[in-house]
Amino acid sequence: MVFEKKYRGISSNFHREIYVSLYLETNITRLMPHPQKIVILGHFGVGKTSLIRRFVDASFSEDYLVTVGVHVKKKDIIINDNPTTLVIWDIEGNSEISMSRSSYLLGSNGFVYVFDVSRPETYANLEAQLEYLKEHFPKVPVTIFGNKADKFGEEVSKAFFEVPPFTECFFTSAKTGENVEEGFKELTIKTLKQ
Amino acid sequence: MAKQEDKLQILRDILLTDDRLIADAINQRVETITKQFEEEQEKLTGKIDPVIEERLQQFIKDIPATLGPTITETLKTQVENSQDLVVEALYPILGKMIKRYISNEFAKLSEGINKKMNNAFSFNGFKRKLKSTFTGTKEGDLILSELENPIVNEIFAIQKGSGILLGNYSASETVDKDMLSGMLTAIKSFVEDAFKGGNQSLESIQYELYSIHIQNFHSYYIAVVISGHYSKSYESDMEDKLYKVSRKLSSGINNMPREEVDAILKSLFKEWES
Repeated sequence: MVFEKKYRGISSNFHREIYVSLYLETNITRLMPHPQKIVILGHFGVGKTSLIRRFVDASFSEDYLVTVGVHVKKKDIIINDNPTTLVIWDIEGNSEISMSRSSYLLGSNGFVYVFDVSRPETYANLEAQLEYLKEHFPKVPVTIFGNKADKFGEEVSKAFFEVPPFTECFFTSAKTGENVEEGFKELTIKTLKQ
Repeated sequence: MAKQEDKLQILRDILLTDDRLIADAINQRVETITKQFEEEQEKLTGKIDPVIEERLQQFIKDIPATLGPTITETLKTQVENSQDLVVEALYPILGKMIKRYISNEFAKLSEGINKKMNNAFSFNGFKRKLKSTFTGTKEGDLILSELENPIVNEIFAIQKGSGILLGNYSASETVDKDMLSGMLTAIKSFVEDAFKGGNQSLESIQYELYSIHIQNFHSYYIAVVISGHYSKSYESDMEDKLYKVSRKLSSGINNMPREEVDAILKSLFKEWES
């Protein structure tokens, strides 16, 4: 309607043409979704920051730096030919999600829950944590990353994780890059369906 | 005698022929090797040079990571051990800089005041006198407040909670706006959570010459980055303008395309500029 008023003075056919093209353009921009907020959860030292660094900057470092507070990163990706922006919140590790600052989780479009395949204490309460997310954020999709998968074979048996609740997990390695992009892409597809 | 000479020559020939042949063969071999070496050198140079160049570039690139901490540590120790020397060296430079800055600021101030005084009998001057009489504020203070007008640098409309940027307008290109709005929301959330002041919201952040004025609405907030000092009346005026803009935004900001929100914020920005 706004455009109709603007081009009132122009002959009717031309007017319609401009109106249609502007209308289409507006609809195209409408199809561009707002950035998706993704929050990374999990215990201390499971590799949350390293996964983000691998995914966003394609880099890895063995140095361990504790995340204090929150760090926000951004990544543009293409899903089925559609550009999408992910704003990833890397929050400090906690053994339980309920201990995280609740305001950091507000308005999330998706969660990544990360555990370390070589440290049983980081996945011992996995089911309880997933239940917590289901209860408090029922509409928000969750993807689980079993990180440090490069240790499979030497310290850890992969067969151990072939039963629930690990069957849906992405076994990732921030070190080698294995499955990192795939995991984030799957979560983005789920968030866009919401 | 001649016969003896001939005999000696024959004897010399017999004895030295083999040696000469060996010497010739060695010379030939040395020549071949030298030639081969030269050719190989050319080939190797072509192959090795880029590798060395690449390694060199990598080394230069790695300097901050490899040598950086050592250099920093060394400098730190040096500075700590010779504080007096550092102060002595920096004192004249800093002194000159401060002096120049202050005299520059004074020059600007006096230029501004002169301009205002020259226009004392203009309409604005008359208005100022009137304002001074009615409000009780000294005319000098009014002149000073007119001199340092705050400048709006950026405006952001950000979704509450998620920190997703819904739209923005900036006078200059700065850091990534999406990341900035995320971090700003994280800071805001942290302050609002940490001090547990009930349903209170963070309304401004100040850092030296800049302030971020935050105006909260139901599902979003608007952050305005301002440089320079601003008075209460300026703030109140700004709040009124933001409320006016919110009437356009509040109905559907979460579903509006970013370009539309950007355009609304741009018109508000232009209004401030003029």
